[in-house]
Amino acid sequence: MNLEMRGIHKSFGTIPVLKNMNLEVREGEIHALVGENGAGKSTLMRILGGVISKDAGEILVDGRPIEISKVRDAERAGISIIHQELSVLPNMTVAENIFLGMEPRTRLGLVDSKAMRRAAAETLGRLGLGLEPRVRAGDLGVGQLQLVEIAKALIRKARLIVMDEPTSALSERETKRLFEVMRALKAEGVSFVYISHRLEELFAICDRLTVLRDGEYVGSASIRELSLERVVAMMVGREIGDRFPVKTNRPGGVVLEVRDLGRGRDFKGISFSLRRGEILGVAGLMGAGRTELVRALFGAEPAERGNILLDGQEVRIRSPQEAMALGLALVTEERKVDGLFLPFGVDFNIGSASFPSLATLGVLSPGKLEAFAGKAAEALRVKTPSLASPAASLSGGNQQKVVLARWLAREPRVLVLDEPTRGVDVGAKREIYEIIDRLAARGVAVLMVSSELPEIIGMSDRVLVMRNGKNAGLLESGFTQEQIMSLATGV
Amino acid sequence: MKIRFGKLVSRLGPLLGLLILSALLAALSPDFLTVSNLMNILNQVSLNGLVAVGMTFVILTGGIDLSVGSILALTAALLAAMLKAGIPDFLAIPATILLGLALGMASGVAISIFRLQPFIVTMAFMTIYRGATFVFTQGRPITGLGNRRIFAALGRGELGGVPWSGLVFLAGIGITAFVLARTVYGKYVYAVGGNPEAARLSGLAVRKITASVYAVSGIFAALAGIVLTSRLDSAQPLAGNGYELDAIAAVVLGGTSLSGGKGFMLGTLIGAFIIGVLNNGLNLLEVSSFYQQIVKGGVILLAVLLDRRK
Amino acid sequence: MKRILAALTAVLLCAALLAGCGRDAKASAKKIGLAISTLNNPFFVTLKDGASAKATELGYELVVTDAQDDPAKQAGQVDDLIQKKVAVILINPCNSDAAKTMVEKAAKAGIPVISVDRGVNGAEVLSHIASDNVAGGALAGQELLALVGEGAKVVELEGIPGASAAVDRGKGFNEAVVGKLNVVARQPADFNRDKGFTVMQNIIQANKDIRGVFAHNDEMALGAIKALEAAGLKDVIVIGFDAVDDAVAAVKAGNMKATVAQKPSLIGSMAVETAVAHIKGEAVQKQIPVPLELVK
Repeated sequence: MNLEMRGIHKSFGTIPVLKNMNLEVREGEIHALVGENGAGKSTLMRILGGVISKDAGEILVDGRPIEISKVRDAERAGISIIHQELSVLPNMTVAENIFLGMEPRTRLGLVDSKAMRRAAAETLGRLGLGLEPRVRAGDLGVGQLQLVEIAKALIRKARLIVMDEPTSALSERETKRLFEVMRALKAEGVSFVYISHRLEELFAICDRLTVLRDGEYVGSASIRELSLERVVAMMVGREIGDRFPVKTNRPGGVVLEVRDLGRGRDFKGISFSLRRGEILGVAGLMGAGRTELVRALFGAEPAERGNILLDGQEVRIRSPQEAMALGLALVTEERKVDGLFLPFGVDFNIGSASFPSLATLGVLSPGKLEAFAGKAAEALRVKTPSLASPAASLSGGNQQKVVLARWLAREPRVLVLDEPTRGVDVGAKREIYEIIDRLAARGVAVLMVSSELPEIIGMSDRVLVMRNGKNAGLLESGFTQEQIMSLATGV
Repeated sequence: MKIRFGKLVSRLGPLLGLLILSALLAALSPDFLTVSNLMNILNQVSLNGLVAVGMTFVILTGGIDLSVGSILALTAALLAAMLKAGIPDFLAIPATILLGLALGMASGVAISIFRLQPFIVTMAFMTIYRGATFVFTQGRPITGLGNRRIFAALGRGELGGVPWSGLVFLAGIGITAFVLARTVYGKYVYAVGGNPEAARLSGLAVRKITASVYAVSGIFAALAGIVLTSRLDSAQPLAGNGYELDAIAAVVLGGTSLSGGKGFMLGTLIGAFIIGVLNNGLNLLEVSSFYQQIVKGGVILLAVLLDRRK
Repeated sequence: MKRILAALTAVLLCAALLAGCGRDAKASAKKIGLAISTLNNPFFVTLKDGASAKATELGYELVVTDAQDDPAKQAGQVDDLIQKKVAVILINPCNSDAAKTMVEKAAKAGIPVISVDRGVNGAEVLSHIASDNVAGGALAGQELLALVGEGAKVVELEGIPGASAAVDRGKGFNEAVVGKLNVVARQPADFNRDKGFTVMQNIIQANKDIRGVFAHNDEMALGAIKALEAAGLKDVIVIGFDAVDDAVAAVKAGNMKATVAQKPSLIGSMAVETAVAHIKGEAVQKQIPVPLELVK
């Protein structure tokens, strides 16, 4: 499909979110759409998908103008959107999910399950996914679900598929598989709009890209003509130097020691030590047990075996309260799910772990929370209209800073970060790296789980690599992407 | 600016509704806007209102408490038995409140320790407590409660023309509004309702907080039981039947969200008054009781519709 | 803005509904209040209709409230009637004990109260108008005894425990049959047809050889008949109480043997007559029994 969006305007109330935006996607092309959070990518895609309507501009498919005013219109035009939060119904089978809303009927008007399963199996086969269509979707991994979503699009005869952050939860292997499928479909003439924060990926899979910034069209180019630095510069509107700050921390004596830690099948036999002022990276594939390990350290789901020593003293951590009393802090991976109180104000979110210290006899002193949160927000340069604004209204980077502020305000000795920059745009990433470095320089021991290898390499003093819940290796210095990947995959 | 306006409307919406409703009734019935009728309304509202105050805590955590009506009946029966046995009211009343706390706590503990659905657990306790009330009272009302001053005042007495029951209710609203807005416990109730997992990872004792709101609900159900027992000068085995629904309606009319984390106590005050004014007004207007139910249901539906966020 | 508009529309809608239902306020001296325990029971609906008809005939307006069997709600409704300054309140209490404080409150406001069908314990009323339930229960007991013969096994389905009608009817019945009939089961079914059905079903499980059933009201009796039919026990003699339309039809059809007819319509009209007599300054009797009869 040749898609052209020309001069698209959209305002919410009096605030313009898209100004004269253009996008051109050619047949059989994977087209990257990049921009910082809040740049207008998702608004543009929601217009394309018929979820919201544009104020001005036109949409042309194969040179003919079309009107997309509801989701059905987009579907009919052959446009399919796969959102970051997959829309799979976990209790239905794969086949039922694929055919949801357009089930084939028998002559009696009943759902023709046989035909449905046959067609589903065929389409899944086309994607190289030898999956039994009768399997419950909830039993599949994210990578497989992603492909099920593509199958769903293909059944609907989609000729343009929009993928929003498809790889954010995928392992290296699953990402490769997804890219193979995309390339195969591209050869069949299917076009893709590809949105990702992982800029390295764009160079691996995309043909051309369009950059937008603050709701405006910045430019389009063939990816071969661009460098990573150039793309970043287009996105932020200025050249930013290195993606990582020059490290200023100096590791000291051991603060935390973990010996032979384990829990069920999630992880076992994990031992490491963490020093004052050190950043210890934890690398590994999805499902390697990294998140489970750090949550156990924080007492969210306590460990069952092994010992934890703090300053050489054995401690027991059976709940977040106990971990906090020992000076630990955890910034979780899924900040919207288990980090933030989305509808509540920034002040509440920052104060949530510190209320008792702001109160006398259980009564909060007026203004104290505001002062406390204000100070913490300012220290991390959280951009928010006011301290009372709901956390949900902030951008991903600022939301992450709010969660960081909550924990930094408690002045932890050991800070555990799980994917600290996931879903955070480039500019804010750099700021978060600087914050982490500053903390380490001040003597805080940082344990950082990350799936982004550049981040692990750029920030860590040492790296713990996990594979299948076990310790696959501890790299002391001079580590490379290849070294880490080979330990993580066991190849 | 936009957000603020929206917030203002959502906060003032229920109050606006109450004012319009009252203005309408005042225009339609000469008996409505009299001091004695307003006191009458306050008196009538206090029962459902007290139950709704406790219910607000539960709903703010995202739970629901169906057992309040039965707790009301059981505590009322035990209070009546104590008074009948000659225990002075200044001992019997605090004992009744403690009992309400314990009865509510039982559902709270079951919900938080065993991680069960509040709806099912409190429904089970609703039946258990109702059964216990029947066993205890042998299915008959308990009467002959003697003449105790504090007890009699709570349901029937007045202070300068204002019914004591209403004063108890307003005091309950005032204290709990302060607790929710200005204490650590209040913030914790919102946090648990807003995002239980985030609350747990912020180091909050989520289970204890969850259990506690049902205890609070039990306390207020017992308070309502005390007021009702005094008002009828007897304890009825069927007392409080269906009160859970009126209380939930008052909380929701006040703008508190059933999904938890959003709402405020003054809203419940207004919600309870909307229901009370509606009941009173429709009686004054001599609307048939059958139509009254339809109107009440319609108003609840409308309020929820209006409260729906975009 | 949209929300406010929607709210306004809603309220206007309600207003229209209210205006449709409400009537213009008339002089309150011509108003009589009737606080009914519940209108979910045809008996009280008939009572209310009798009262309304009489009120219209005598040129009075009857204000009816329905407490749905909740004494607390009734207390509020009586308060509302006091606010309306009705001349007399006819109260049909949900519960005889709980009605005491309501009568006291009305008395304070200078409004006399007449109790209807059920009495008020612990407070003075102007007059009490009711069928003699004890006599009715005895009437049913004698009839059942005559039909099933001495020593036969029978069942008593009781009304809401503690309700005065249940207490009195049971009392009359048991006094009439004590030592003569073998009452094998005595269980409450709360004056309710569904409950009458399930309770009867349960009793049948243990007692297949019962000969007769006395139910404290027709609703329960009709439920019991269905349960007996389902169990194939067609010859069991069932006697109900109240003579509601369904029951009279069942008696005619031969499914029910008899029902004690209270005359709810007559109770209602006599209550209004008594109230009007008082308003006109005439003396009224303290107890006005309304006759009962057996419908066979």
